[in-house]
Amino acid sequence: MKRENLILSILAYAISLALVAFIGFPLLWMVLSSIKPASELFVSPPAIWPRAVTAEWYRNVLSGSDAPRFFLNSLIVGAATTIVCLTIGSLSAYGVTRFEFPGKRLLQFGALVGYVFPAIVLFVPIYMIVNTLGLIDSYAGLVICHCILTFPFALWMLRSFFQNIPRDIDEAAWVDGASFLRTFVSIILPLALPGIIAVGIFVFVLSWNEFLFASVLMTSAESKTVPVGIAEFITSFDIRWGEIMALGTLATVPVVVLFLSIQRYFLRGVLSGAVKG
Amino acid sequence: MFGIASRQTTAGVLLVLPAVAFLVVFVVYPVLDTIRLSFIAVDFATDRQQFVGLANFSHMLRDQKLGWVAANTLVWTIGSLAGQFGLGLCAALCINRDLPGMRIIRSVLLLPYVVPVIALALFWRWMLDGTYGIVSHVLQIAHLLPANQSPLALPDGATISVILANIWRGFPFVMISYWAALQGIPAEQYEAARVDGANIRQEFRYVTLPNLLDITKVMLLLRLIWTVTFFDIIWLITRGGPGGATEHWPIWIYQESMGFFRFGYGAALATTLAVILLVMCSLYLLALRRGKAA
Repeated sequence: MKRENLILSILAYAISLALVAFIGFPLLWMVLSSIKPASELFVSPPAIWPRAVTAEWYRNVLSGSDAPRFFLNSLIVGAATTIVCLTIGSLSAYGVTRFEFPGKRLLQFGALVGYVFPAIVLFVPIYMIVNTLGLIDSYAGLVICHCILTFPFALWMLRSFFQNIPRDIDEAAWVDGASFLRTFVSIILPLALPGIIAVGIFVFVLSWNEFLFASVLMTSAESKTVPVGIAEFITSFDIRWGEIMALGTLATVPVVVLFLSIQRYFLRGVLSGAVKG
Repeated sequence: MFGIASRQTTAGVLLVLPAVAFLVVFVVYPVLDTIRLSFIAVDFATDRQQFVGLANFSHMLRDQKLGWVAANTLVWTIGSLAGQFGLGLCAALCINRDLPGMRIIRSVLLLPYVVPVIALALFWRWMLDGTYGIVSHVLQIAHLLPANQSPLALPDGATISVILANIWRGFPFVMISYWAALQGIPAEQYEAARVDGANIRQEFRYVTLPNLLDITKVMLLLRLIWTVTFFDIIWLITRGGPGGATEHWPIWIYQESMGFFRFGYGAALATTLAVILLVMCSLYLLALRRGKAA
């Protein structure tokens, strides 16, 4: 048994290191490529470690292109989506975990359906609604779309966080004469805050990474988000790999940092059964 | 105490009202509208809509693309799911072992979960560049590729490349879900197996695997829907090329709708995909229920 365990442990290390290489190498390669000077970037065979380091590509994209604007746009859309989604989401999560009312099960079922429903199937009518509302190429239009994508998931996760707060706490507040709204705002929300922050970061990451709606809706140069703006760098006939790798790195770093900072809550959410891929 | 129950009902309804309104306008209505549009031809120039009955669907059945797009979708889905579940399970079993360093490994393996698809598409294309790409270079040295050739320019190479990219992106989800299930297996079950004299292989077969069955069933359904309908990776790496070799159903929908502005036809394709998925999922759930009853 002991020997077998040792073998299994060695096997576990071997497999997981192979997987770390599979996952980590492309990311590492992106970062390394973004700091290699042209003389090392465009050589065959490629060298792994850069002998010289340059900030040229970062300088080019940050001061010589629309990229800063893309980042600003993504930040605004992501923040607005997060706020709208969390507001509606925590109100309804509170509603469905605390009160009985007709249609409650239907709403939860609806959220579940929305959670699995693929965007590609809905994007034409959604595009047309946004068009009718006159919101093409505006932040509001894209925020609506990102809320559609993230809301069912947010509700689902928030519900599991709210469920963990005992109902006795609400009831004690009610007995003391606090209104439902006051109980929610000053007692339940602070208790649910870690969960809400975790869900919020998730919503932000999904919005930050979203491509399909952003590419269809945000057509003018000033309104493009990061994924859409970067995508245009590759479709141009002159592919500027150095700049592209710098942009890829810049797009990846914020979400990775955010994700690592909430990983604890994320894992807790996973253990209570809520993930979205 | 007049109406504490009815006050609760009112409070509940008011709290969920914004969510319900949002879901009705932006989810329920679009679903119905997709179905409606699939019976309509939209004239792009005048924006006039004309009812055409089943013309969009019969056009689809006669479309030469139908056969190979369906085949591509199947290969894409099966390849991605096999890779994601295979690697995901292996990784979960590894990170579940209580060994030094496994937490860091777990963190690294979770990264693809948040890496933007656009970044993934970019470094994938860079690594597979025919002249300067490091992966292409290795394949060229091994004589698996002609000199200066990118796998993305070859039909099979492009298919394998996008599937690998999707495995890269999707396996952490499977890994972490399996890991959560492994964490939930009570230690007593292993102890009981050990008391009965089970060896490690038997423990895996009679304790671990049965405990992973439920999560596998749920995940298979979710991943199936999300993989079949996943658009971004293929679009950003190959745009469905070369010569349509990686064009799967979502790309087809996108190109008809946004490339040629045939909204009615695009909607018919979307409806068809949704109906196929719905039927498959229903049959799947029915089979699961049967299996449970038996």
